[in-house]
Amino acid sequence: MTAYILRRLVQLPITVFGVTILIFLMLQVLSPAERAALYIKDIPKNEAQIDRVIKRYGLDKPIYVQYVNWLVGTVDQDTGDRVGGVLRADLGYSRTGREPVIDLLLRRLPATAELAIWSFVPILGIGIWLGIIAAINHNKLIDQIARVFSIVGYSFPTFVFGLLVLMLFYAKTGWFPPGRLSDWAVQVVSAPGFTQYTNLNSFDALLNGRFDVFLDALRHMFLPIITLSYLSWALLLRVTRSSMLETLGQDYIRTARAKGVAEKKVVNEHARPNALIPVATIGGLTVVGLLNGVVITETVFNYPGLGSAVAAAAVSLDVLTVLGFVLFNATLLISANLIVDVMYAFLDPRVRLR
Amino acid sequence: MAKLLEVSNLKTQFFTQDGIVHAVNGISYQVDQGETLAIVGESGSGKSVGVMSLIRLIPEPPGKIVDGQVMFDGQDLLKLSENELRSVRGNRIAMIFQDPMTSLNPVLTIGRQITEALELHLNMGREESRKRAIELLELVGIPGAASRLDDYPHQFSGGMRQRVMIAMGLSCDPQLLIADEPTTALDVTIQAQIVDLVERLKKELGMAIIWITHDLGVVAGMADRVIVMYSGFVVEEAAVDELYAQPRHPYTLGLLRSIPRLDLGRQKRLIPIDGLPPDLLDPPSHCPFAPRCVFNIEKCWQENPTLVTVGTDHKSACWVDISNVEIYDPSADQQNVEAL
Ligand SMILES: Nc1ncnc2c1ncn2[C@@H]1O[C@H](COP(=O)(O)OP(=O)(O)OP(=O)(O)O)[C@@H](O)[C@H]1O
Ligand code: SF4
Ligand SMILES: [Mg+2]
Repeated sequence: MTAYILRRLVQLPITVFGVTILIFLMLQVLSPAERAALYIKDIPKNEAQIDRVIKRYGLDKPIYVQYVNWLVGTVDQDTGDRVGGVLRADLGYSRTGREPVIDLLLRRLPATAELAIWSFVPILGIGIWLGIIAAINHNKLIDQIARVFSIVGYSFPTFVFGLLVLMLFYAKTGWFPPGRLSDWAVQVVSAPGFTQYTNLNSFDALLNGRFDVFLDALRHMFLPIITLSYLSWALLLRVTRSSMLETLGQDYIRTARAKGVAEKKVVNEHARPNALIPVATIGGLTVVGLLNGVVITETVFNYPGLGSAVAAAAVSLDVLTVLGFVLFNATLLISANLIVDVMYAFLDPRVRLR
Repeated sequence: MAKLLEVSNLKTQFFTQDGIVHAVNGISYQVDQGETLAIVGESGSGKSVGVMSLIRLIPEPPGKIVDGQVMFDGQDLLKLSENELRSVRGNRIAMIFQDPMTSLNPVLTIGRQITEALELHLNMGREESRKRAIELLELVGIPGAASRLDDYPHQFSGGMRQRVMIAMGLSCDPQLLIADEPTTALDVTIQAQIVDLVERLKKELGMAIIWITHDLGVVAGMADRVIVMYSGFVVEEAAVDELYAQPRHPYTLGLLRSIPRLDLGRQKRLIPIDGLPPDLLDPPSHCPFAPRCVFNIEKCWQENPTLVTVGTDHKSACWVDISNVEIYDPSADQQNVEAL
């Protein structure tokens, strides 16, 4: 097991390396002058400024030199400072955010992370748990409901779904407001007595013992969470249900029953671990869905996270911000993949002991 | 010898979209303590469904045991509660299956799969059950048993897995072991090893066995009695020597003829039985073997014969006493037709 994880860990940097090359190549679509213009904050830009930036970052050098520069940065001849370099977390300047891209991403990250973390509640709860319950009660009422649930969830594009729930639960009923917190809660959170341990409002509220703020945060996140996660749990519900159904028909389940094992143990100890093996793979894929969904969801609900920042950047052709987000996403995805592989090995001895 | 199991009028059907599959149509037989009963019959004749019904392993739905009684040691298994039945399964009646590659759980260790029944039925603790599991693996001839307890099924060969299945089956010292074609999925040499193993274990442990097989050669070597199934019916039942010496049902005769026998030389060639068994969705009201039977008479097409005693310990379901009839020769008939 340890050897397996180590082997996968060694592969990790190689994958990241590949991703950086891809992103770098995307940048090459722009000419040196255009790329140089991206680094200049003042508008209008003039020729002299552009030339200086081209020289400073070596944008006229051969492509492999540029790639290395892009990764580790270059030394500015005038000041002697090291400038640029994505490995040094210098992702350039965000024109739309009016701050360095890395600062923008880090500032917006907690709000999105909070959404994503809470999204796992319905993903695991509805997707996997309900999927198993449905399979055990094959063709009974709960199974039919689960099936309808999954199909309906499956056939809505995110923005349609988002606008629909926004119309119903915000415009019509006013139950769940958009944004991140109500005004009164913002005041509580930014007051000196309130410690921001994690920058995740819901968790900080609990840690500070402010249950009212916690509920307010959840109320604001409720619709985005549902919108962000419904595709994932609709998919997982389907996969889990059919995987569990298939597993329950296997010979070894009959063997367990023939041994006199109680039905509950047959399901939990004999069937479920087998049924979850394919679910782990799909579960990893749903992370991709979450990352993509974040952009649309946050825009629809006016939720101040990474996704809405990137959406704003994209419409005003703020290339560096978008690429920074892509790089960030890619790293996250690769990590998610690693976690899935480890989970896979954990679940399946045929992988672990190959 | 004392009766261990008495099955009467067992009927199992599957309620599918296409209609009702009449898989087992009222079969009766008994097994004495320590006896080996073989069940033979072609594919789809209801052998597996018949024995799985005994401990209610039929998937329900679509399956349902619609009638019958299964008396085991004075209790009707079909009337027990789920809980009571579970204390019989794997404990007093154990079952091993055809395909050892799929019958073991791939994510649980061999040790866990054996100790589970021990903990469940014999209330053994962890240490004790592991010790017993090692003994069991040694008993069924797995080399280095102690070191293999924490291995997973995929680390064993097919033959070794079937040995593990047998060890699992024997773990709680059952009074009855049901083996559903335990050698069919294995190589010929491995098949012989498994048969030898079970024969040896039977001598040592003395349990009764129901052995389902296609292979009449194996039956001759190990069974005490044989029942022959056709289309969900028991069509013949006899002591093994009697059955071979004097088969009374045309289907049995056909099965015996289809075994190649070196001692009989060239004149008695392998004769496969022509035709197909009836559709179980729409079973005939006449003798189900009639369309394939060379002995058939008019009555065979009117009524289905019941199983009746035809000799000592010998029952058959056939309107014709084939021991008294010249074998009907289709080619002779053909000549007659041409002569007309
Ligand atoms: N789950 C099921 N649903 C519908 N029909 C079934 C089901 N299980 C078995 N049957 C039917 O019951 C009949 C008897 O099957 P069974 O498995 O007992 O045959 P068998 O004698 O064991 O054959 P084999 O030698 O191939 O194992 C077959 O026609 C089969 O199609
Ligand atoms: S009853 Fe008739 S058809 Fe059926 S097996 Fe006997 S002779 Fe053949
Ligand atoms: Mg069978």
